Parts: sequence; structure tokens; C-alpha cells
Amino acid sequence: MSTEVESYKIQKMVELLAPKLTRQVVGSLVGCVHCGMCHETCHYVMTHPDDPKMTPSYKADQLRKLFKRHYDWTGRVFPGWVGAKPPTRDVDLDELKDIAFGTCTNCRRCTFNCPMGVDTATLNRIMRGLLTQVGVMPEGVRVVSKDTWELGNQMGVLKEDYVETLEWLSEELVMELDDERATIPIDKVGANIVYTINPREVKYDPRTISEAALIFYAAAEDWTMPSWGWDQTNFGLFSGDDAMGAASYRHLQEKNAELGSQRLVISECGHGYRSTRCEGPNWSKTDQDFVMESSVMTMLRYIKEGRIVVDKTKNSDPVTFHDSCNNARSCGFYEEPRELLKLVCTDFQEMYPNRTENYCCTGGGGAMSMSEYTPRRLVSAKVKADQIAETGAKVVVTSCHNCVDGLGDLIRHYKLDCQVKQLVHLVANALVLEECAISKIPKEKPVPEPVPEPVQEPVVIPVEIPADRVKIADALSGRRILIVEDEEDTRIFLATLLQDAGAVTLEAVDGDEAIATARAEKPDLITLDLSMPGKDGVEAFIEIRNDPDIRDIPVCIVTGHPEFRKVIYDRPVRPPEGYMDKPVIEEDLVANLRRILETSRAEGS
Amino acid sequence: MVVKKIGDKVIRLVMGDITDLEVAAFVYDITADAKLGSGYGSAITTRGGKVVQEELDAIGSCPTGEAITTTAGKLKAGRIIHVNGPKFHEPGTEDKLRQTTVAALQLAEKNGITQLAFPPVGTGLYQVPLAVCARVMIDTVAEHLANNSSVEEVIFVALDTREFEPLAAVLQGGA
Repeated sequence: MSTEVESYKIQKMVELLAPKLTRQVVGSLVGCVHCGMCHETCHYVMTHPDDPKMTPSYKADQLRKLFKRHYDWTGRVFPGWVGAKPPTRDVDLDELKDIAFGTCTNCRRCTFNCPMGVDTATLNRIMRGLLTQVGVMPEGVRVVSKDTWELGNQMGVLKEDYVETLEWLSEELVMELDDERATIPIDKVGANIVYTINPREVKYDPRTISEAALIFYAAAEDWTMPSWGWDQTNFGLFSGDDAMGAASYRHLQEKNAELGSQRLVISECGHGYRSTRCEGPNWSKTDQDFVMESSVMTMLRYIKEGRIVVDKTKNSDPVTFHDSCNNARSCGFYEEPRELLKLVCTDFQEMYPNRTENYCCTGGGGAMSMSEYTPRRLVSAKVKADQIAETGAKVVVTSCHNCVDGLGDLIRHYKLDCQVKQLVHLVANALVLEECAISKIPKEKPVPEPVPEPVQEPVVIPVEIPADRVKIADALSGRRILIVEDEEDTRIFLATLLQDAGAVTLEAVDGDEAIATARAEKPDLITLDLSMPGKDGVEAFIEIRNDPDIRDIPVCIVTGHPEFRKVIYDRPVRPPEGYMDKPVIEEDLVANLRRILETSRAEGS
Repeated sequence: MVVKKIGDKVIRLVMGDITDLEVAAFVYDITADAKLGSGYGSAITTRGGKVVQEELDAIGSCPTGEAITTTAGKLKAGRIIHVNGPKFHEPGTEDKLRQTTVAALQLAEKNGITQLAFPPVGTGLYQVPLAVCARVMIDTVAEHLANNSSVEEVIFVALDTREFEPLAAVLQGGA
């Protein structure tokens, strides 16, 4: 190995590359003939046609240069002939970071279209891994990685907050259904299913947990959620850090074994499914002795087995389906969600291209956590936006939390007239609870007869379903909520909605007024828009968090602007308690604010 | 739990979240700018309050291999000793890890702290190999406790089995 490099970090990268050079990786490093086929497949190239640095082969060449100069004999002997001109200085690493993290979502579409079988996404992931190991990475990647390593989940959710949120959701569901069997079990030993989630669900989208719990309840499933090892996502896939990938996977594996479950169910998350189901056992070099399945498979199985009954007419809007790159291209998982979708909606239409040829949502590969690349990401999202617009669908369904955020951003950015949903929403909405398995099981065990009867008909006690399961009258009763919103129509809409739910509302039209009102009135909660004249929402939020008098007031961001993800991922201050995209769904907003008010705590409490 | 006796002193190994431990003081691996950041830093802020970062801001920085101390706010621990351990394969990782461990122990002694909890410093994001960390830190602590240290008990706190196993192997191997 040559050592002709100035930079200590690059020397380390060269050393760290050695164990990565498997036969498959070397095949991809030497197999590229620069034919240009990959260029036509990449959403970055399609939206930046005059920038050669966006081509997949250029991105992969960055690793190739290191390999050729230091490991391949042609590069050692004839470096100029084979393009073996790797970076040699620390300052070069920033450009490498920008290429590896900021111009590729590792979606693998180029991989599928390479006649030589070159896996450019794998090469890019290796480059990311080398950079993170020497400390060169976007701030959001650093923040999320540290959370993953030290708290066991990628959004820094503390164990007590996670458990408290589940307990609150459980109480709500039991109350709504008036049935103790709707409890969300935590750490139940011997349950058939251990259900694992994306931290985004517990932090910002708890409704997906309630909907999954409702489906498990309807199917009369014996299930549980773990108090540890519950994060099925795996940031190691994005950062390229195999050791982190292994550590995250082991948390799930070991907790599942402790609970004695034979089936681990992964909520709808593309990279979570790939990392857990496909990559985790390899990263951790451990045997896999239990079943792992996506919740899509679980829901489909319940319908096929007759454990849940659905009425597809309850989802009548035109629907299209977006394939998560990790599900479709890396796991071959694309027919089952379509099969399920057709069972729970009346008007499904494909987008084109689809399945393994579908375009990336542009939020994959950890892109949502790298706020510095948001403008470029949104430009590249034009391809996806056009693809969705052509379908005319009002609902884009996807089985991936990253895609939910990525698609949500591009829908707002390109002003598309549709919204994003996951299959769990549609299945929960289509449930006919009166005909599901739970309705055939008595609420209480029948008292055993002293003398056994030869044949006895089972006792059937139908479940009583409240007429309106979602809306809770006076859900925010007596709570004082400050609405910060510059658009009058939206402000009036929010105020009316929250007042109908029993809240006392205060209003502010910009950041300065928000801070002044918060200081004077000390509301129980603040809903905060971001794009406002004068002091915008991001500035106002940071100022609120840094003010000892008001920093403990919980804040729910209600925005249409993706730039705010910087506050969530780079985390210059404690992140907001809630985050909702505009336009808000009324029930979701009330449920989220109620959850925040019930479970938030002051710093240090 | 794994226990190793060094004369009348003791080294224990437990599994859990170090920031939630009821202990006289625990060690946190901080960056040179003395910012708590995410991970355990986020847990310290959320559970303990902003006072810890405010005290750190007053101190200003923590050079590699050195240690500084703050109160622990509303955490169950009495104090926090912040160290700046080796990061990202930097040159001299083992020496810096040894220096960092000693700095934490000396600062504990200076502050009259007799019970100190350590994480396996640098073994997550910062890429220090666990086997190296376990050997260097346990050897350093054992040597320090054996030489008239006023620290009576050191607790290594592993987050998970990945961290626990190599620490246990060194502790048990040297018993």
C-alpha cells in the first residue's frame, strides 16, 4: 500500500478501506466502463443535466481513485493512466463529504440499470463509512449517530418518554373502544409478536402506533412492544458505519430473544426493513432464529386469514403507490403492498415507472437529516413530483417513514394537490370491527360450568364501537394554546378547531409577538408556523428555547417548510415536542396536541 | 454485575444508562468546545436541565485528554466529570485514552468524589475499538486505585451487551 498522502485522515481512510474490499466490492470498483447508462437513471442527473459531478460514475470514482492508487497494481505503477489521483489533503475531504452525502440518496436505481453490474450505491455507502470513521460528516449525521450509539434510537427518545407515550396512547385507545383488551402491552413475555417502530412515530406521528394497535386488537393478536430495542430503523445503513448497524440490530435481536417471541414485526419503514431483515444479521455476524416481517405482511395475513375484515369503500379517494427504494430495489418487496392496497381502497392506479424502476422520494439515504443539502434535494425532487402529478391521485401511499417525509416535502414544494399516507392508515380506516376476530371473543372469560356440556355454542359478544372513534369532545378542555400564524385564514381555522376541542386560544402573527405573548401569558402550549414576516418561526423557536422563562412551554411546529428539519436533526436547541406538516388534518392536530400536553415535561423534570 | 477488587477498592461493571445512575459522579465524553450535544448529552440536558450546559459555557472548552467538572442539575448523580477523549482514530489513541482516564480520576479526587462511573469512553461515534478501550481503561483505573487513590469505587457502565462483554472479559480475565 502506498503512503504518499499528506493527510492523516486520508491515510486512515485508506487503511479502513482494506477490510471492505470484498470480491463484490472490487468487482464494482473495477467493472465500470464509464458507458453512461447510469446517468439516465439518476434523479440528480435528470435535474442537473449540465453538472457532470452529479453522475453516478463520477460519485463512485471518488472511491475508485483511492482504491486504484493504493490497492490496485495498475494504479500504483501507472497512476496517471488509470485515473488514480485520490485526494491527499484534509481540505479535500469536505468535497468528498458533499459528494457522498449531498448528491446521492443511495437509492440503487443506477445499480439496477448498469450493464456491468456495478453497485454504485454500495461504493457510495463505503465512502460515507470511511468519512464518518474519521469524523467527516454532515452535522445532522453526527447528531443522529450519537443518539443511536448512546440512547439506542436515532431521535434521542429517552426510555421514560417512550414508555410514557405508549402508556398514554394505550389509555386513549382503551377509552375510545371501552375495552381493556385494547391495551398496548409493553415487555409482555411470550407474546406471539414483538412490534418495533420508527422513532419518528413516537416522537411526531404517534397516530401510526395507535392505528397499528387498533389492528392488532381487531385481529385479537397476542402482541407486545419492547421497552428497549424498539427502534427498527438503523442509521448505520445511511452513515456507512457497519459497527453501528450491527449494534442497532443486536438491540432488537436480543430484546426479542428476552421476550421469547418468534416473530418480530417491523412497522412500515423502508430502510428499517432492509436493515433489520436483510443487513442486520450480516453486520452483527449473528444467527437469525426468529421470523422478521414487515407490518404490511402482517396486515395482509390478517385479512387473508379472516382475522380482520375491511371495507374498501371507506377509502375512496384516487390512490397511487410509491415504492420505497429499500423495500423494492434492495428487498424485492413490492407486490405485497399492492395486494394489500387493492384490498383496502377502491381506486388504485400505478405511477410509472414503478416497482424496482420507481424513482426515489429524494428523502432516502439519510437525506432528511442533512439540512445543508435541502435546496439541492428539492430540485432533484422534480422528477418525483412530475411522476406523482401525472397519476392525478389525491393520496400517495408508501410503506416508509422516510418516504412520508420526503414526499411530504416535495408535495408542498411543488404544490401538488395530494397527501401522503401509509398502509396502516388505510387498513385502520377500513376496519369493520364488528366482524373482526376480537368481536368473536367474549370480553370476560365465561364462568366454567360445574358439569361439562357435550357441545356448546361459543358466546359471541359484539364489540361496541363508538360512533365517532377519533374525535374526542373537549379533548383540550381548558388548555391555553398560543397559535402563532401569519395567515389570517389559517389562524382563524386553527383557533376555531382548538376552541371546538375546548381550548382557550391566544394568537400571534409573527415571531416577536409570539415571544412577547408567551412571556406575558405563559400558555400551556404553542403551535408555531415557520414562514412569517419579520422574525421567522425558526428564529422564534430558538429564542423561546433559550429563554429560561418560557423554554419549557411545549411547542408544536405546524409548517409547510422542509428547512425546519434542521432544528430537529442538527439540534442547536432541544427539539420541538411536535411537528406537523401543513395542511393539517383536524383529528391529527387535536390528537397530537393532546398527546403533547399529556406527555411533555419540562427540561430537567 | 461483574466485580473486581483492588485491595480495599472495587471496580464494578453494570449495564444501563449512565446518565440515569444514582452515583456520586459520572464521566461524560465531551467535545473540545464543551458542548453537550446529542446522545448522552441530550439525556443530561433533558433529565438534568440546562444548568449543566450553562456551567460548561462558563468554563468554555475542554482540550483533548483533560477533564472539567460541573454539577449534575436534577440528575440522580451528584456531579459530572466531562472528559475529552480520543476521537475518530486520531493519532495516539491509547495514550490519550489513558491520559483521559487518569484526568477524570484525579479531578474526582480533587473534588472529594469517592465513587465514579465511567462509560467505555469513545467506543461509539468516536470509533475507539471496544477491546482497546476495555484493556486501557480498566488497566489504568486498576493501577490508579492501587496507588493510594481516594476514589473507593469505580463503576463501568455499559449501555448494552456489545459494550458489556469486552469490559467483562478484561475484568474477569484480570481477576
